[in-house]
Amino acid sequence: MAQAQAAFETDFWKDANLRKVWDEIVPGEPRKTIPYVLTKEAIQLYCRSVGETNPLYFDEAYAKTTRHGGLIAPPSIHILLMFSCTPADDWMRSPGTVNAGQSWSYNKPARPGDTITLQARALDKFIKRERLFVVHDNVFFNQHGDVICSGRGQTIRPM
Amino acid sequence: MTTAFENLSVGDSITGPTFAVSRESIRLFCDGSLDYNPLHLDDNYMKGNFGKTNFGGIIMHGMNNFGLITRMLTDWADPAGAIHRRLETRWLKPVKPGDTIQPEGIIKAKQVTQKSRWVLIDVLVKNQNGEKVATGEAMVEFPVANAAAA
Repeated sequence: MAQAQAAFETDFWKDANLRKVWDEIVPGEPRKTIPYVLTKEAIQLYCRSVGETNPLYFDEAYAKTTRHGGLIAPPSIHILLMFSCTPADDWMRSPGTVNAGQSWSYNKPARPGDTITLQARALDKFIKRERLFVVHDNVFFNQHGDVICSGRGQTIRPM
Repeated sequence: MTTAFENLSVGDSITGPTFAVSRESIRLFCDGSLDYNPLHLDDNYMKGNFGKTNFGGIIMHGMNNFGLITRMLTDWADPAGAIHRRLETRWLKPVKPGDTIQPEGIIKAKQVTQKSRWVLIDVLVKNQNGEKVATGEAMVEFPVANAAAA
């Protein structure tokens, strides 16, 4: 079981009334995020959940012999970072939020022990075939100010 | 044998391992991603309609597809000293417990830019019936001087 730094609220219904609905989301407005220390344990739990077995993520002795110089997280670690850096009252956690697709660009790998920060905002919102869409912009940084990855996604908001 | 940029051809295919989807795998993905959206957990909630869509039961996280695709690409790219730089995906069909899915890629283009070299790959994830559940496009960089990675 993952150990979060502050206990992560896994009941997404809790605080549901505090979250913005589609009408209240302002494209362009930054959303509040929480810094997150990425641990080796969290990386490895994420890896297991998608069947990742590459020793770059598990075997420190091996990883040190590679060009990465040590353990790294897989590029898709942003899947975990998105939620670990998002507070419980954020609309990303609204039950019934449907992920309509994402694109991500990768700059540097995240590493165990990194403190990750997220800069995020909705960029756009629109209606298509009676569904309410939001376009999201998310950039993750490490403690050195390096971009780890930058992503854009669309969600269909619950009605 | 490493796959050097020069040896790659448009039409070359890449495959990744299959992934068996179950209630347990979905639960593990919740724990690994911290995404506890009831779409993936709550059978009663999933009996209802989402606008005009009814999923009929809990579904796998769309981003689970994303994780499988990037795993396939990094397993392919890393031994060649190449770096997975971008992935864009969209979901076509929901994936349910009991499905088995598998990612694939086909090289669609190679491009040399001023400072580097790039491969574009059409990617998809199929289920056990051969249906596409996710598609997308990936970009992998083959640095010119195999310099130290970021």
